[in-house]
Amino acid sequence: MGSLTPVETTSDGNFISTRLDALINWGRKNSLWPMPMGLSCCGIELMAMIGPKFDIARFGAEAARFSPRQSDLMIVAGTLTWKMAQAARLIYDQMPEPKWVIAMGVCSSSGGMYDSYAVVQGVDSILPVDIYVPGCPPRPDSVIDAILKLQKKIERESPTKKFFSGEAFVDERGSQALLYQPNAAVKRSSLDLSPHDPRTGSKNAPEPAKQDG
Amino acid sequence: MERVRTALEGCRFEQRSTSDGIPAFGVSREDLHEVLQRLRDRADFVAVTFVTAVDRYPSEPRFELHHQLFSLIHEDRVRVTTELSEKDAKAASCVDLWPGAAFMERECYDMFGIRFEGHENLRRLLMPEEYGHHPLRKDFPHAGIEPDRLYRKWDRERRKNWDPSRAGGAK
Ligand code: SF4
Repeated sequence: MGSLTPVETTSDGNFISTRLDALINWGRKNSLWPMPMGLSCCGIELMAMIGPKFDIARFGAEAARFSPRQSDLMIVAGTLTWKMAQAARLIYDQMPEPKWVIAMGVCSSSGGMYDSYAVVQGVDSILPVDIYVPGCPPRPDSVIDAILKLQKKIERESPTKKFFSGEAFVDERGSQALLYQPNAAVKRSSLDLSPHDPRTGSKNAPEPAKQDG
Repeated sequence: MERVRTALEGCRFEQRSTSDGIPAFGVSREDLHEVLQRLRDRADFVAVTFVTAVDRYPSEPRFELHHQLFSLIHEDRVRVTTELSEKDAKAASCVDLWPGAAFMERECYDMFGIRFEGHENLRRLLMPEEYGHHPLRKDFPHAGIEPDRLYRKWDRERRKNWDPSRAGGAK
């Protein structure tokens, strides 16, 4: 059960009590639905990873969704060009919170060997990346390792704290995401719209948003 | 090639040497369309393999425009070369002869800035439309000129026009 350490167990074992954070994180990390952003050769390894031989179903991440509305893990697999960057950013924006990003391969981590006018030199200049996977292409095992590392990272998050402090809909990593908010009434000024610089780690802490309604 | 010579009877052209053995002919820009039409109609070159260019920067005339044609019946190829100067990088379009050349001419325009007269839809093919440079020219820097400028502009405008009351807000 991983992070879901029972705080208290009754003698007949029919229910456990635990922290809400741990329960939510346990659910989130074991049902990551990837959005396979297969842009070039790395996409082939991504398919191998989803297929039966490597089988990420073992880690609950096999439900690859081609609709951003239904996915919460974007795997950028391949060379992102500046022309494609707009599409990638729109797809990221359409994914509902919570969402994570894995940069698979050197191309998406740093531009790789394509030091050229057409290629984005690292997707972290347009998206907040959680895990970088080196390799050209990385073996499927490395990407599975990245997913396991991401699960560890998710375990450390604190969704309830975010929720009760009124920041539930603000991306705490400083992403400028246009968030999915049905009937949203969040004031524009309360959202952090300043760009996040992943290299210096600087981010403007958003003010707590008032949730009216 | 005898067939080509008969087809080009009366046109001005010079034979060029090539290292791959494909016969190549240099023609002037004014004769280009006439030569291509004759090769198609009289010498059975029914397919165009590619339309591309070579940048000979800094020598002048700077560009060499290459049309490579293929004959399905005789299974042979021929190449037609036209030299274009930098100031006046224009040539006649061959879309009326081979509709499939449209994309190749667009790419050639995108990468070298050679304009094809008579092409109805001469827009950039690979680079963003407002991009002001031609990347395959030899004086274009390897790492590009502000490659992210158009994305950043798009991103700024998107955020400026963002309406938080619309779910998702993506547009
Ligand atoms: S990292 Fe290598 S395998 Fe992956 S997209 Fe780039 S060039 Fe292709």
